[in-house]
Amino acid sequence: MDLTYTAAEEDFRRELRAWLAAHIPDEWTRPGFWESLGDDESFRVRRDWERDKALAGFAGIEWPTEFGGRGGTPGMKAIYDEETVRAHAPRTVNPLGLAFLAPTVMAIGTDAQKKEIVGPLLRNEVIWCQGFSEPGAGSDLAALSTRGVRDGDDFVVNGQKVWTTNAVHGDKIFTLVRTEPGSQRHRGISMLLIDMHQDGVDARPLKQMSGASEFGEVFFDDARVPASDVLGEIGDGWRTAMLLLSFERGASGIGQYTEFRRQYDEIVEVARRLGRDTDPVVRGRLARVLTELECLRLHAMHVLTQVEQGRDLGFEASMTKLQWSETFQDLWEVYDDILGEDATLDALSTPGGDLDLRPLHAQSMWSRSVTIWGGSSQVQRTITAERVLGLPR
Amino acid sequence: MFFALTDDQREFGTAVTTYLAERFDLEAVRGVVEDAAGDGHPAALWKAAGEQGWLAVTVPEEHDGLGLGLVEAQVIARALGAGVAPGPWRGTVLAAEAIRLAGSPEQQAAWLPRLASGAAVGAFSLRAGRTAVEYAAVADVIVVRDGDGLVLVERGAFTAEPVGSYDGTTRLATVTVDGPGEALPGAGAATVADLTARATVLVASDLAGVAREAITRTVAYDREREQFGVPVGSFQAIKHALADLHVGVTMAEHAVLYAAHTVDTGAEGADLAVAVAKAKASDAALAATAAMIQYHGGIGYTWEHEAHLFYKRAKRLAGQFGDADAQRARIAELTIG
Repeated sequence: MDLTYTAAEEDFRRELRAWLAAHIPDEWTRPGFWESLGDDESFRVRRDWERDKALAGFAGIEWPTEFGGRGGTPGMKAIYDEETVRAHAPRTVNPLGLAFLAPTVMAIGTDAQKKEIVGPLLRNEVIWCQGFSEPGAGSDLAALSTRGVRDGDDFVVNGQKVWTTNAVHGDKIFTLVRTEPGSQRHRGISMLLIDMHQDGVDARPLKQMSGASEFGEVFFDDARVPASDVLGEIGDGWRTAMLLLSFERGASGIGQYTEFRRQYDEIVEVARRLGRDTDPVVRGRLARVLTELECLRLHAMHVLTQVEQGRDLGFEASMTKLQWSETFQDLWEVYDDILGEDATLDALSTPGGDLDLRPLHAQSMWSRSVTIWGGSSQVQRTITAERVLGLPR
Repeated sequence: MFFALTDDQREFGTAVTTYLAERFDLEAVRGVVEDAAGDGHPAALWKAAGEQGWLAVTVPEEHDGLGLGLVEAQVIARALGAGVAPGPWRGTVLAAEAIRLAGSPEQQAAWLPRLASGAAVGAFSLRAGRTAVEYAAVADVIVVRDGDGLVLVERGAFTAEPVGSYDGTTRLATVTVDGPGEALPGAGAATVADLTARATVLVASDLAGVAREAITRTVAYDREREQFGVPVGSFQAIKHALADLHVGVTMAEHAVLYAAHTVDTGAEGADLAVAVAKAKASDAALAATAAMIQYHGGIGYTWEHEAHLFYKRAKRLAGQFGDADAQRARIAELTIG
């Protein structure tokens, strides 16, 4: 058992911490700051800041240097996740590109794709969207019906994608398209890399229950994409998609723990100001969530160990997703219940002064989404039961 | 970062699991459980525990032990829990830990080699007064709490009165000290707290083993058992429940391993880690063993089936050294104030 990081990893932590301290204005750490900017301005500020961070060498931490990465260790990536949360660094504007597309391109992309996609992505010169879900294909992704018809050197694409993160800010979208007419289910699909800045692509914001519009829908109306802009083989898009999704292996759990643990303290502070922190029922419920949060941290350490040992975690990613998303949701349910009949108010007067609840409500609302996107909890339980426990399909 | 067992550490568990599977399976456990007049302390199993080093694990090498830590001890505890194994292993290990941590050199020399080899049986109680102590009736020496101190009482200086308990895999007796005891000179509030942490981790580990085995056996049964023309394990209601239990037990395993490590190293946060481990392991074992009954259907409620052995052991141990609610009260103190 060795729960420490190496000296080189700790050096990296100090270097990163210093850079973050010098490049994050105090006001960014104020609760509600990003919400107050509005979606568009928040996106712009974060996009530029993240580019500067990449230019300073703090992006693609564990990616090979030949692709513009830092060539660091999995431990450095865990430290990066932890320190950026600790420093209140803004959320990435290119989450799907960073987490999914880039590793897939590095694994199976052509040399030209590796060169053209990874570097610009790291510097936020291209914001990538993921075009998977459709109105008729959510959990059942293989039911997708967006189709691409070959026309000379191009595919002409028609259909609709939905729940697309950053849809209105996107430059390109990696999209699952049925390129074989009449094909069924997992066959005949290709992953096409479609330019969103064309007349045939219309991205519209989708207002969420929180009031924010981080998601959107994307309509393809005779959109064109060169047939060479395919990731993996034409007709083999399902396999590409499965490889792509396998990169969500939960190694960012240490960052998630750091964030949720801070939120736990914020919620404890709300309870204290409302005089609810001595209520044994509230204390018991908070302790129950804290127990799960600590387990999340330990699970992240387990995952990091497995990655460092070169082991394939396989379907264990479903367990990771269940543990973090269900715990995060439980945490914010406790928050709502601490407020009781005041749960929906924008602000509360307390002996310690007024308490603006809107930034906290935003997290509470967001917690409803995390057990749906990226594979719903129900899908994850089915995967765990069938693929890990071996129960019959 | 290496948060895992080494191959050598894992081997301890494999050795116990293999022995139990080959030489002391559930039929043997049932034999002990159903022998109400017996002492619940099968000689063959005890001999193996002594010969294979299960008792010597935390005893220093100078006293004929293996000189290892709580991480290794919890590996053994987990395997014993998975096998719902009877016998005074935990009491003996904890009595030895008390003597190792607080005993005089003479007390250590007198007792540690004998406890490590199984020549002497130990028992251990942190609760004052007339309280049920595991395997006190077969113990050669009992370490009991006396205020902030610990007292070593040899056979002959205490009376153990067996008490009935529906968990037949653990025999209990009330203890009355009616002769002279010897104080452990190094004992104080800190030692008592340290021993409480060690005892709590070993119980949590046994519970994690019980929980894992309950799920494994239930999955195996539900893959085969057919109703409505299909295996019942193909029903989503059962799949999702078992998936949640699998996640919960996996988290409990992480938490117990981490708690053992923090106690071994005296790391900051050991208090919280131990409380988290016990809270999680208690909940996981109670849920998994209840599910074991439910997802076996009617057969799971019978005496003939093994589910009740796991369920009853979980019921007994979930409350030992503080149940999940008590642990959560501690967690609240540590994180809310």
